[in-house]
Amino acid sequence: MIITRPSRPVDAIHRARGEFRKAAIRRQLQSVAAGKTDHIPADAAEPSHDAASTINEISKGLREDSLPLQLLQVAFKNSQVADRAIENLAVKNIHDRVAGARLVGSLRLYEATPWLVPLLFAKDPSVADAGARALGRIGGASSASALVAAIQRRGQNRRRISELARSAPDLFLESAIDGSDRPVTRPALAIAAGLRRRRTAISPLLKLLERGSRKERVISCRALGWIGAANAIPAIEELLTDHDWKLRMSAAKALGALHAKSSVQALQGLASDRNPRVRKAGTQALRLIQHGA
Amino acid sequence: MRPRLHEGGLDSVAPRPGQRTGKRHHVAWPSFHDMVSRLSALERAPVFFSFEDTTLRGLARRLRRVHVPAGEMVVFQGEPGDTIFFIERGRCRVVVEKPPGAVTVAVLTEGDFFGEAACLLNRPQLASVYAQTDCFLLALDRQSLHTVLAGREPGAVEELQKLAEQRTTAFSDTSVQATWGMLFQEATVVGVYSPKGGSGGTCISLNLVGSLARRYPGEVLLLDLDFPYSHSALLAGLVPSSCLARMATVPPEPFEEVLLSAVLYHHGGSMILPGALRPEEADEVTPDLINRAVAVLRKTFRYIVVDLGVTITDATLALFDLTQHVVLVAVPELSSVKSAADALDILMQLGTPHDRVTVVLNNRTQKPAVTKTAVERALKREVDVEIAFDENRPEQAAVAGEILSLTNPRSEITRGTELLAAKLDSVHHRVKNA
Repeated sequence: MIITRPSRPVDAIHRARGEFRKAAIRRQLQSVAAGKTDHIPADAAEPSHDAASTINEISKGLREDSLPLQLLQVAFKNSQVADRAIENLAVKNIHDRVAGARLVGSLRLYEATPWLVPLLFAKDPSVADAGARALGRIGGASSASALVAAIQRRGQNRRRISELARSAPDLFLESAIDGSDRPVTRPALAIAAGLRRRRTAISPLLKLLERGSRKERVISCRALGWIGAANAIPAIEELLTDHDWKLRMSAAKALGALHAKSSVQALQGLASDRNPRVRKAGTQALRLIQHGA
Repeated sequence: MRPRLHEGGLDSVAPRPGQRTGKRHHVAWPSFHDMVSRLSALERAPVFFSFEDTTLRGLARRLRRVHVPAGEMVVFQGEPGDTIFFIERGRCRVVVEKPPGAVTVAVLTEGDFFGEAACLLNRPQLASVYAQTDCFLLALDRQSLHTVLAGREPGAVEELQKLAEQRTTAFSDTSVQATWGMLFQEATVVGVYSPKGGSGGTCISLNLVGSLARRYPGEVLLLDLDFPYSHSALLAGLVPSSCLARMATVPPEPFEEVLLSAVLYHHGGSMILPGALRPEEADEVTPDLINRAVAVLRKTFRYIVVDLGVTITDATLALFDLTQHVVLVAVPELSSVKSAADALDILMQLGTPHDRVTVVLNNRTQKPAVTKTAVERALKREVDVEIAFDENRPEQAAVAGEILSLTNPRSEITRGTELLAAKLDSVHHRVKNA
């Protein structure tokens, strides 16, 4: 039997005070966004007050040049709370660093990008994730470059790739896939391009499908499927007979995503494939094409 | 070092892009020659050239070089966009995808830019853009643009948004025209000539175009050849992005598309093609270029009104040869009347028929020093249209970027240009239909 120590009345009072303060800051931020005031309390950057969540709520669906966000940015800058949040990015305490990154990201402070970059290389995964999230929110070429650099040095993970897809400006990923520098990052770039679902990426992905390494071909195949590149169907269909089972499986999945009715016969051929995963992918692709689900 | 966002921005203390941050992230600064080339690309772009040097340098530093091989897609119609692309080298084709086909509505060359509507107005891309040749583009993303402009250039974003709106409208109209094809016969070219500066020639040209555009929306063009300062677009509240002078180096094949893509569309239905955006560009407008341009424009519009300005140059003379009608603007002042009489003599020597010249007397003061009778005596012919003193309405309209003939029916300028338009229509439209 576990006996928990009853909380002291003074702890409950402290907790209640904290919640009151949090609610007050929330109301204050909403007033700033509405243009009623420009005062930001000095303790708004405290991790416990979670100002980032409120800002995210206010700015949900808004662009970085929208008025509420601009009002918040100016108020945070003028009250020096933004300075404090950026200072927190360099402290040792993990919670402070994460909170700082969240606040800077929610405010989309482009100027803070150089201070967020070292966070991507932090040992603690929560800090690295918070840095990647913040850069993804801020967006722009410098954020995307930093994320690519992080992928190159630290390897690819879901957070880095999804934030890269979010932050990359037009033609950034396309030219990076085409470029000869950083070939290690090409698979991650191809996934990000697929996640962005821009048709401008079709051509570089097709090139990767033709000339890339095995891994790059597998990924570009899936990415073309996500984008819905109907003109890539013949090239993908050819891969159904490749000797590599991963390529065959990836091609089957891509054709399913593309609803490639012209490839039904080729996909039916996968029913006798020696690899069970390819057979399963083929069946699922056929189901997608025939039933659209 | 403690960062301070509120004192001159973070750039002052941020790890500079050239510095190593944590021994890992290294971004090279553009070299000197690279910066020069980036700046020259920005300085050629409308609105951008009016920015302060520091702003331009800030933007130039943040530009991203993109190479697009010939035939590749740069932007796709209907997709969102967050980047403005400046063409540094090469040519791009703007294509409206209308399944089952696609229509090329413009060809963009060095100095042009695109993607601004999606980037600044948060609208989907209006058309697809393909690289016609190997293209070297400079990409400016939204974040960089807002960061550099914030606090440095008040009103710059609004100005850019206005330009984007205007280009969107012009583009929609051009794409409609492109799909309709050539509906009309060749245009009537009307030259507006004022032998003395300050006679209101540009004002009358602009309002005449407005009056004609009310009758034929989208079919009337003002070609502004009032050198060295062509201000018609400015007076109409439009921001020019290209001009006739920049067509001098365009090869014959894409000339028509490039020329039509430089035409500005006014929401009142009139079109404006600036002759030159900068005084030094005026030299590029040669008689040959004018002949080529007018040949193209005549196929597309019903009326082309040419503001000929004051000086008679080779270009003006080339235009006189192409005009079917000349409007001579004079003010009731001694020097103006004398110059108008001389100009009439020149026109007669050039073989312009008497009935194809219309004399407009523009009263710029309440009590003119020379009476209408005296003017007619000096010119040895009747004044066809007299425009009464219109107080300060033309100046107010210019400040507001309005065309009086489209906004104020009570204005004397409107009355005068309506008369003029009716006269032109009675002569040329009847002739055309006959």
